[in-house]
Amino acid sequence: MLSTAVTPGERAGASALVAPHLGWSVMDTDQTPLEDLETGALAEADATVDVATETTEARAARFEREAMPLLDQMYSAALRTTRNPTDAEDLVQETYAKAFAAFHQYRPGTNLKAWMYRILTNSYINSYRKKQRQPLESDAAEVEDYQLARAASHHSKGLRSAETEALDHLPDSDVKEALASIGEDFRMAVYLADVEGFSYKEIAEIMDTPIGTVMSRLHRGRKQLRELLTDYAVGRGVIPAQEARS
Amino acid sequence: MNQPPTQDRAADCADVVLRLFEFVDNETGPLDRDRIQEHLDECGSCLAEYERDLLIKALVRRACACEEAPPALRSQILTRITTTVTYVEQRQHRG
Repeated sequence: MLSTAVTPGERAGASALVAPHLGWSVMDTDQTPLEDLETGALAEADATVDVATETTEARAARFEREAMPLLDQMYSAALRTTRNPTDAEDLVQETYAKAFAAFHQYRPGTNLKAWMYRILTNSYINSYRKKQRQPLESDAAEVEDYQLARAASHHSKGLRSAETEALDHLPDSDVKEALASIGEDFRMAVYLADVEGFSYKEIAEIMDTPIGTVMSRLHRGRKQLRELLTDYAVGRGVIPAQEARS
Repeated sequence: MNQPPTQDRAADCADVVLRLFEFVDNETGPLDRDRIQEHLDECGSCLAEYERDLLIKALVRRACACEEAPPALRSQILTRITTTVTYVEQRQHRG
């Protein structure tokens, strides 16, 4: 399971991952600082290393170079996933321990962040979901609901832009609270798409589900998020109650 | 059954609203993207819907800005890597 390589994304969100390798094509210009050259050379070497002949020490150093810069991002994701700092730290510890142990299975040059996210997601599902005993969302129900949304219609013209304006003024704490309130499969799909900018294909690989399920989770998750945020906006008096439900 | 003249447009709106989240994520195929873009250009309601979806995506990204991992967590993970390497090296040395 851990050996599944996630190919680098072609979309804007994943471009930061491949940028160091792409940037390396300019190595022969005089203007590039020596430090950048060394970093670039290391990144280039890390992307093409022969895992079979690599020493344990070299692999640990490569893991440290490649995986440790992702720590803040993994911790932030764990915070949103587990919804409390203690569990987030445990989840990140577990993720890094598993990733380090399985690092020989990671294919150099592919999307390490997606690979790490997959381990984090698996670890969370195996350890924490069981502990919390949350009911599993049925995929069949999700798809059904998603198809029912075809009947969705939208509201009268003119009011929405006022609502959108109001939503923009909600504090970050409201958005975090709303995100924490929706089902965890929805929450993770929305986080991976909106915060990390992963493509649907990458999210499907990370969450180990078909793309259709990812789309259904995003669709339903955002719908719930939107309803919650609208409720908060009404509660804060930035949207009149009548307009919000018109 | 007489179809009201607005039926075509209404069906189009329902379809566009359903696919908006893909459009917002830039995951719509080129044909669908053009069709949705065309619809948004002429339908104020769907455009407002699109703008709100776009905003919510931006709000989530803003609210979930990267937080710094606790220094203790960082050092614990680093220690673990180093300790493992040292242990393996000792074992290899002992043969």
